[in-house]
Amino acid sequence: MRTAIMSNSGLSAYAEIALILFAIAFVGVLWRVFAPRFRAGYDLQSRMPLDDLNPQEPRPRGTES
Amino acid sequence: MAVGAAAARLESFSYDDDIVRKFLFATLLWGVVGMLVGVLIALQMANPIFNIGELPWLSFGRLRPLHTNAVIFAFAGNAVFTGVYYSSQRLLKARMFSDALSKFHFWGWQAIIVSAALTLPLGFTQAKEYAELEWPIDIAIAVVWVAFGINFFGTIAKRRERHLYVAIWFYIASIITVALLHIFNNLSLPAGPLKSYSIYAGVQDAFMQWWYGHNAVAFFLTTPFLGLMYYFMPKAVERPVFSYRLSILHFWSLVFLYIWAGPHHLHYTALPDWASTFGMLFSVMLWMPSWGGMVNGLLTLRGAWSKVADDPILKFFVVAVTAYGMSTFEGPMLSIKTVNSLAHYTDWVIAHVHTGALGWNGFLTFGMAYWLAPRIFQAPLHSKRLMEIHFWLGTFGILLYVAAIYSGGVTQGLMWRAFDETGRLAYPDFVETVMKLMPMYWVRVAGGTMYLAGVIVGVYNLLMTWRARPAAYTNPVLQAPPLAAAQGAHTSTGGFVSLNWHRAWEGLPLTFSVMTAVAVIVASLFEILPTFLIKSNVPTIASVKPYTPLELAGRDLYIREGCFNCHSQMVRPFRWETERYGEYSKPGESVYDHPFLWGSRRIGPDLARVGGKYPDLWHVRHMANPREIVQRSIMPAYPQLEQKALDFAGIQSRVDAMAMLGVPYGDAVKAGQASAMARAQATELAAAIVSQGGPDGLADKEIIAMVAYLQRLGRDLKAATTASTSAPAAAHGGQ
Repeated sequence: MRTAIMSNSGLSAYAEIALILFAIAFVGVLWRVFAPRFRAGYDLQSRMPLDDLNPQEPRPRGTES
Repeated sequence: MAVGAAAARLESFSYDDDIVRKFLFATLLWGVVGMLVGVLIALQMANPIFNIGELPWLSFGRLRPLHTNAVIFAFAGNAVFTGVYYSSQRLLKARMFSDALSKFHFWGWQAIIVSAALTLPLGFTQAKEYAELEWPIDIAIAVVWVAFGINFFGTIAKRRERHLYVAIWFYIASIITVALLHIFNNLSLPAGPLKSYSIYAGVQDAFMQWWYGHNAVAFFLTTPFLGLMYYFMPKAVERPVFSYRLSILHFWSLVFLYIWAGPHHLHYTALPDWASTFGMLFSVMLWMPSWGGMVNGLLTLRGAWSKVADDPILKFFVVAVTAYGMSTFEGPMLSIKTVNSLAHYTDWVIAHVHTGALGWNGFLTFGMAYWLAPRIFQAPLHSKRLMEIHFWLGTFGILLYVAAIYSGGVTQGLMWRAFDETGRLAYPDFVETVMKLMPMYWVRVAGGTMYLAGVIVGVYNLLMTWRARPAAYTNPVLQAPPLAAAQGAHTSTGGFVSLNWHRAWEGLPLTFSVMTAVAVIVASLFEILPTFLIKSNVPTIASVKPYTPLELAGRDLYIREGCFNCHSQMVRPFRWETERYGEYSKPGESVYDHPFLWGSRRIGPDLARVGGKYPDLWHVRHMANPREIVQRSIMPAYPQLEQKALDFAGIQSRVDAMAMLGVPYGDAVKAGQASAMARAQATELAAAIVSQGGPDGLADKEIIAMVAYLQRLGRDLKAATTASTSAPAAAHGGQ
């Protein structure tokens, strides 16, 4: 019964829709990663492992190096 | 004024390194145990006398899952926890959310490992690779994992760093996905205190298992280790990762792609072809982000290569990242159907996983351990020279292992498919193809022993470092502003206002985690649901009937002894397979198989069509001493099956459990019926064995159930295709 309903309900198009949604999400990630305006932020964040003692961001104001 | 206000809001905290030390010790202990078992089973493959004393709990079939579970969940698992607890606290500038949960996680995980080490050799197994542990232990794993998750996400919630560094992203994805994989693959119906049947059967069970199996590799052995790489490599070279932006792309690509790749483990099986093609395509796509990550790791050393020559820690990392590159090149290659038709069921796959396990997971772990030791034990490393020796022993050990086993895999794969000039199989005798591997198996023993020797040197070195620790560890108190207050200060400056929306997005771990979970769940559902719900994917076969109660008991013994570790039950549609074994396997044949037993490696021949191929007595003698029948066989002997009484009383609960899962058992579910039916069939079979010249008195012994099961395999299909003849089914397969 359940399988018969599923087999005949034409759900296969949803897989294609999901694929398109995933592709759009991926393009969004690409933009977010490579758009020049975010570059400075990433440079700052990449240094996070190097300092175990002080947060990169936020820092208490007046202590930024 | 502003400085004074911020300073007033500073919070004091310290990191919990005690838990890091605990997990590191556990990593070392289980590493040695797991690899020692690895060397033992390598010896058993090279010569069956190493199935010591024919003791059941030391036989290959029971120890192989112990080896894989120990190195994956005990060694690599504890290594991940070591690194996660160390790095997360520092990246989030916060002590772990709860010290009590940290301790519960540690002791809970070790208790699970001990129960695995006891139950697997005793033969309690669900028969699904890397998910062998029985249901009570599965529940314990879920509870401990959830405790770990609460502790981890709680730490994120109280962090003092706005941005989540990419390593944390990898940890989040691992924690969420492993929970999903573990729960859904292990759904089973208990049939006793340490016995259960998967709720899925046949094709669906296979699909779930390899959705789990491949993603266990992805989200237990890859993503958390990538998190460690992105933290500890910059630490070791004292410079940021080559491209942080590439690391983010690496993360999202893996999360999007990995979850689809599982069906490549089931090429040319009874799995629907669309699913396996899907798995192949996504696996090939994985090559690019994986290599992006490898290149990113290696280029982190740009300008610092001179340090590599001098610092063994960096050498460990370089080999680890290179091994990651090698195995993630090879993985997509093996997933291509044509390559897979050669490699599947052979040692090639074993070589592939050991490049990953010994090189990537092992060497990253040891690089991390050597980097951590002076910091968490607060004493200089005992000996740089011993560290160097460990590195070279390990490196040559890996090379020996994989070179031998690659050639073994390709050799056997080619021999299986070879035809002579008359069009017949060139090596019809399976054992011939095994004997060809013996030199390679001995080289593997040498390579594995070298790797283990390196590990023992490393453990000694690390323990000596620990011995030089101070009387009391110093634990510095740090200060930082709480996140919420500092965020308010930033907003008021106006400098970041225009970017507030995405700052909020990336700063919200809940949103981030939900997105990761959605990516994983949506992908899983779209791939898995059609196999479960669309009828045409698993055509039924009218002549396929449930196993009789005695055969079911035999199947459980087959599972207990781990026969599926060496024998597949899945004939692929190639001429060289159908010539050797018979008609290729159909999806409808395994609709009552809870769990499926298709196997993944043929150290012995496929058994899907073994029913009726040999007389009953042949099986009795072969199980008691395989070498009496096949002189050069490397199969362990099972003489105890002829001595041990079969538990007829326990059969009823098993049949009832199967019936609850929808297997049509009819009258057998009436109280007492199942054991009565089993006794009747056993008496008949025992008489047949006596009439063939075999020993008397086997009717109530385990061997009778095992023979009944083996003689049933593949018979239903023969009944359908050759109703009027008792001859073996003609082979119709072929490419």
